Amino acid sequence: MLENYFPVLVFVIVGLAFGCVPLLLGRLLGPHRPDREKTSAYECGFEAFEEARMQFDIRYYLIAIIFILFDLEIAFLFPWAAIFKEITESPAVRTFGFVEMFVFIGILVVGYAYAWAKGALDWE
Amino acid sequence: MEFKTVLFYLFAAVLVASALRVVTARNPVHAVLFLVLAFFNASGIWMLLDAEFLAIALVMVYVGAVMVLFMFVVMMLDINIESVRRGFWNYLPLGLLVGTILVVEMAAVLGQRYFSLDALPNTAAEAGYSNTKELGRLLYTDYAYPFELASVILLVAIIAAVVLTHRERKDTKAQKIGEQLATRRDDRLRIVSMASVKEAPSVEKAVTEEGNK
Repeated sequence: MLENYFPVLVFVIVGLAFGCVPLLLGRLLGPHRPDREKTSAYECGFEAFEEARMQFDIRYYLIAIIFILFDLEIAFLFPWAAIFKEITESPAVRTFGFVEMFVFIGILVVGYAYAWAKGALDWE
Repeated sequence: MEFKTVLFYLFAAVLVASALRVVTARNPVHAVLFLVLAFFNASGIWMLLDAEFLAIALVMVYVGAVMVLFMFVVMMLDINIESVRRGFWNYLPLGLLVGTILVVEMAAVLGQRYFSLDALPNTAAEAGYSNTKELGRLLYTDYAYPFELASVILLVAIIAAVVLTHRERKDTKAQKIGEQLATRRDDRLRIVSMASVKEAPSVEKAVTEEGNK
């Protein structure tokens, strides 16, 4: 089974090399003479007067957490889709598997409707 | 050494190193990025164990979503790292002691039963074996009830997130289209009847005003 993932490994290695090699080459081949002005943060010619990190609005967090929850829902859907044909040989199991997943999605749709009705999805 | 073994040690070494950097990095943003690296390597190890669904779900859910959330949390909190780090060396012995006790306890309870070489089945996957399908077969038949409970837990999480972080803003300038369409003329416009005759301005007054200018 793992042979199928060999291209992925090659891809990861090439990706890492693509990112790292130019930086390493620059570091190794180029002259390296830092001074105070060179290493200071460059901000359009101004003196940097505060940290670049600033506080985010909590609304981003809300969007991100709703995204995670539905992402998890998709993660649950995937093995179900992969197995659906096989476990549904008999009619009873077929109905069970189908209803089961729709109950699952239905419960989450309640959450979706709640978030929507509350206006959590509006950006304002 | 076999190629798989080489890969395992490579993944494990990078995993341990990046996990160490997560707790030692000075900048919390760097710590989050090292955690991403640690997840990638853990996913690689799972892949070596033939747990392909878990490996891909780890990348998709943790790297793709949870770490973004971590990043938002790091960005939202205004932490002064220096003040958090103060007293690190004072607390270190106590922390190490507590950590060691926890590890020893967990090893004593779980170690022999679940992680000894006898307890682990020798899972040589035969051709056509699909981890995803095995997972699905168990999850959607034997474990149907826990599976439905998982959706309830997700629902609780959605509602908790909305309740905790969502608030109506009073100062927004968003349009409320329904309200705008439902408006009737009388809500916006008031017709006032006024007397049609006005007091005519006298010439004298107008002249003095000109003079003042």
